[in-house]
Amino acid sequence: MEKTVRLNADQREDLVAYLDGELPDEEVQQIDHIIARSEVARHEVEALARTWEMLDVLPSAKASDDFASKTMTNLKVMEAPFILEDQWWYPYLRRAGVICGWLLCLGLSGWLGFQITRHWVPNPHDELLKDLPVIENLDQYQDVREIEFLNLLKQSSVFDDLQEK
Amino acid sequence: MVLTTPPPANVDESGFLHDPEVQLMLRVKQGDDEAFTTLVKTYQDRLATIFFHMTQNQEAAEDLAQDVFMRIYRARNGYQPTARFSTWLFRIANNLAINSHRNKARRKEVPLPAGETTSVSGVRPESQALADKSALMPTRQIDKHELQLVVQKAIEQLNERQRLTVLLHKFEGMSYSEIAETMEMTVPAVKSILSRARDTLRTALEPYMQMGK
Repeated sequence: MEKTVRLNADQREDLVAYLDGELPDEEVQQIDHIIARSEVARHEVEALARTWEMLDVLPSAKASDDFASKTMTNLKVMEAPFILEDQWWYPYLRRAGVICGWLLCLGLSGWLGFQITRHWVPNPHDELLKDLPVIENLDQYQDVREIEFLNLLKQSSVFDDLQEK
Repeated sequence: MVLTTPPPANVDESGFLHDPEVQLMLRVKQGDDEAFTTLVKTYQDRLATIFFHMTQNQEAAEDLAQDVFMRIYRARNGYQPTARFSTWLFRIANNLAINSHRNKARRKEVPLPAGETTSVSGVRPESQALADKSALMPTRQIDKHELQLVVQKAIEQLNERQRLTVLLHKFEGMSYSEIAETMEMTVPAVKSILSRARDTLRTALEPYMQMGK
């Protein structure tokens, strides 16, 4: 391998795995061979190793002192059974429920009272509605005058011929 | 979102029972809250570190860390020791980080003005200008604090997946196969992601290598 030849993507990948000790022995030997012969590879390995070491300066975070206790408290709250009476909004809900209940009772009483009392006062229109079929045909009934006349007409068979036609 | 325990790995299940944290989690399953407190204390700083470097915000990092513990606690009744406890925990962290990033992108958050947020190391956003200044003058002497900012800025250049992979490898010392299991990827994918991430970091940090020594 020439000293100035640049490494391809696969070889670069292997270099990183080589540094991480993640390559099988056979491939490690191949990389060792490449590094021994290529200055570029040596430079790459060195640069990769040193930039990796530079990450050591990254700070480690520390959770706040009360993190564990806060977490456990939140878990307890999360796991606590839901008790309606313990909710802050329960008194408001209860008051609203009582008001709604009274309004409903009031409405029902009014409706029931109306249903009962409406039959106490006769409606003049009921009589007219009952006689509506007669009223609608009143002119015809007046033309007929008497029922006996209609019976005589039926018995006379005057209209039988017309029906046959 | 992963709420259940991880799927069985190729390793014999009984192997995980030797993991002391798995033992703690089994005690949590039996209703031992003290065991859960121990797990929280063991992992709180480690999770905060990962999330801090993902979000660059201490408060958000703690919220996310707390969310991870909440999810683990909620899933305790169905817990089965089919992997190392840390693998399960960081898988949940990975999913949360991804969701958080998606939500953040959806909301298109406007960063707070300088001085309103603080980082773990007390670094304020105005220090960003310092890092930019350092980037313009790579040959001058650089102190540890500036180097820290430069490295943070380099880390920010990585995408979410690359960043988490790098953090798990660097801070948690996870192997490629452990990262693959945690992030639900193949080992070659982890290898590829780490390689690209390290290449990006090398490009960003190479000018400071001599100064950072």
